[in-house]
Amino acid sequence: MTKRTRMLGAVMAGVLALSLAACGSGSSNGGDTTTTPADTTTTTTDNGNSNSNEKITITFQNIYPDTTDPKNKMLHKIVDQYQKDHPNITIELDSLNTDQQKLKLKTQAASKEVPDITIVNPAAQMQPFIDADLFAPLNEMIEQNGLKDTFQQGILDYYTFNGNVYALPDGNNIAVVYYNKSLFEKAGVKVPTTFEEMVDVVKQLKAKGITPMAIGEKDSWTGSFLFMNVLLRTNGGPGFLKDVVDGKKTFEDPAFKEAVDAFESLIQAGAFQDGVTSFDYNAGENLFKTGKAAMYFMGSWATGGIETSEAGKDNNVGVFKFPTVKGKGNPDEFMLAPGSAFAVSKDSKHLKETLDFLNYFMLNYPKEAFDAKGAVGIAQTVDGDFKAAGYSDMAMDVLNLFKEVKGGDLAFDNTMNPGTAQAHLSSIQNLFVAKKDASDVAKEHQTAYEENK
Amino acid sequence: MAYGRGRHTPPFVVDERDVKEAEALNVLKVSGWVIAAFVLPCLLLYVCLVFIPILVSIYSGMLDWNGIGASKFIGFANYTKMFTNDSVFWPALGRTFLLAGFSMLVQVPIALFVAILISRYVRRPNFLVSSYFLPVILSVVIIGQLWKTIYNPASMGGMINQILIGLGLDSWMHSWLTEPKVAIFAVILVSLWQYLGYHILIQFTGIQNIPADIYEAAKIDGAEGFKADRYITLPMIVPIFKISVVLSFIGSLQSFDLIMVMTGGGPAHATDVISSHMYNMSFLSMKYGYGSAIATFLVFVCLLATLIINFLFTRLDKRYS
Repeated sequence: MTKRTRMLGAVMAGVLALSLAACGSGSSNGGDTTTTPADTTTTTTDNGNSNSNEKITITFQNIYPDTTDPKNKMLHKIVDQYQKDHPNITIELDSLNTDQQKLKLKTQAASKEVPDITIVNPAAQMQPFIDADLFAPLNEMIEQNGLKDTFQQGILDYYTFNGNVYALPDGNNIAVVYYNKSLFEKAGVKVPTTFEEMVDVVKQLKAKGITPMAIGEKDSWTGSFLFMNVLLRTNGGPGFLKDVVDGKKTFEDPAFKEAVDAFESLIQAGAFQDGVTSFDYNAGENLFKTGKAAMYFMGSWATGGIETSEAGKDNNVGVFKFPTVKGKGNPDEFMLAPGSAFAVSKDSKHLKETLDFLNYFMLNYPKEAFDAKGAVGIAQTVDGDFKAAGYSDMAMDVLNLFKEVKGGDLAFDNTMNPGTAQAHLSSIQNLFVAKKDASDVAKEHQTAYEENK
Repeated sequence: MAYGRGRHTPPFVVDERDVKEAEALNVLKVSGWVIAAFVLPCLLLYVCLVFIPILVSIYSGMLDWNGIGASKFIGFANYTKMFTNDSVFWPALGRTFLLAGFSMLVQVPIALFVAILISRYVRRPNFLVSSYFLPVILSVVIIGQLWKTIYNPASMGGMINQILIGLGLDSWMHSWLTEPKVAIFAVILVSLWQYLGYHILIQFTGIQNIPADIYEAAKIDGAEGFKADRYITLPMIVPIFKISVVLSFIGSLQSFDLIMVMTGGGPAHATDVISSHMYNMSFLSMKYGYGSAIATFLVFVCLLATLIINFLFTRLDKRYS
């Protein structure tokens, strides 16, 4: 008996050791087992596809998980159509919300297991992925079927490194101020044309017991986005951060300090709701959407959601350009937000098919977006009469603002490296809860920048 | 037979009695190899899931690495920076210990007190203990959102502030989660509230395991009520109490989710603890190597703290046995 037990024991241990050995050779990243790289099964299909008998799965990581979002419907529509046309190809959707996706991709990138198609952000946020050589260049692909010409002039530059296009954007937005017309009427105020007037409007709204501006500052980029627009004005034009990177300016430049002072005057006037740093992006936006706040500074991507909200009924919401600060700056220069973009893994097992699919996807994107009433702020040109298609007055206003854009700046974290960006975000967030001296804020930025150079 | 005592000895301390007991338990007289074979699966799991990742972290902690691209070995530079040139690190560490302190010195004793009261006065205690335990099984996200609404400013319908207004204590009102000085305490309170039931359960079970005949004997000798608690319950609960303290300490060091949900470490790092700082560094600032250094530091603090707590309790244990 003992002998048998011993044998059994040894065999069992061997089996277990073998089965567990797999985890030792794996990577150190967190337990991410949901996405495996595209796998091929060699079973033949019996539906007689002429191109190939090989069954192919393409993993498509995306940030459209919300089934009420028009983009989600659009995604499914295009994918379903493609799968119908190509029975041997399965598109596996990995839909995550933005933050989850960012985290997941970083984890996957660390172990070189990038999904066939994934989402990246423009410029500086893309740089580390490019440096690690993870994406396939799309230069040839965008020439096919005239895809390149559907994109707006210059937009692809934000996704181009060393002459290669590495990603195709789903959007191209600008920052605007949305305002609630009935609340403005109630307080007897008009749309401000200068920043000083805006601070005044804030005070008058506040006196009537109305929350002047909503913001979701727990997410910290929201406040930074607004601050950068002030800086775009006090600097008299775009390019402040670029000048810093090029060594022509420092954060202790008067333009930066002036922006901090102006920004603080807005906060000190009581512009934002109470407890502002505990509101996340959605909670902040909801204040405006439910008519509890009079103004909302955000990228034009928010248009669709506001349109269909309680506050947006009966054309009650209007938009205006961010005004001049101390007479400086040009309101036609906007905070630009080239959208998140689709990139293709260089190590994809089915590179050709993946590129083919993405080409098809992007070609159909504008039309489907237009039909789903989601075409405000997309990166491609859309042929179609928006008014006749039933887009609201506010959407038309935003579309008209697009025509007046004369350049501008990108968000801080799209221009600076992640380390500096995090320091900046927390420094600006602090202004919402504590009054600080502009030169201290400038110094904080400069130190962080030099440390992370 | 040392069984009565042995049962209560937690697995953290290997004492000779246990070894002898283990030998005595080997009644089947199976060889050491067989025992090894049966221990192996668990051991391998432990090595793969705990030990190797720790080693990898220690190694990554010595890299200048953004988590994606090429890495550079820089020795202990990350640690030097962490200890001497990181304005967030020390305050975050302080807040972590603040949380641990509150947890060990306030939460666990309260839990013990409640457990004693329940076991003495409540005839069918299970329902009560289960209700105290309820917050533990709720998702942290739900708890965080719940308390966020409770803490909201009065203008947003926050319960605490409205009660304060109702009581005429307007001056006590705070924007609980957004005032840098108050926010960390607001978060700590929620954490204490959530895990109180957990420690009540542990200690209640411990009290239940004390043989009733000891109390009966004491009764004959004239020790009843709190006197019996002082001389019987407290000494006999020490091993269980220790488990509670160790768990609460390590739990506090690792606390992360609640803070992420409620404040995200803000405003401006005012509620950052060591693990949220580690997360920010690794994934938002993309300093994966530096984040790993913080993680390694956390592992060693946990180990050290467990050793210290063990040492203190061994002395306490000796005094009472």
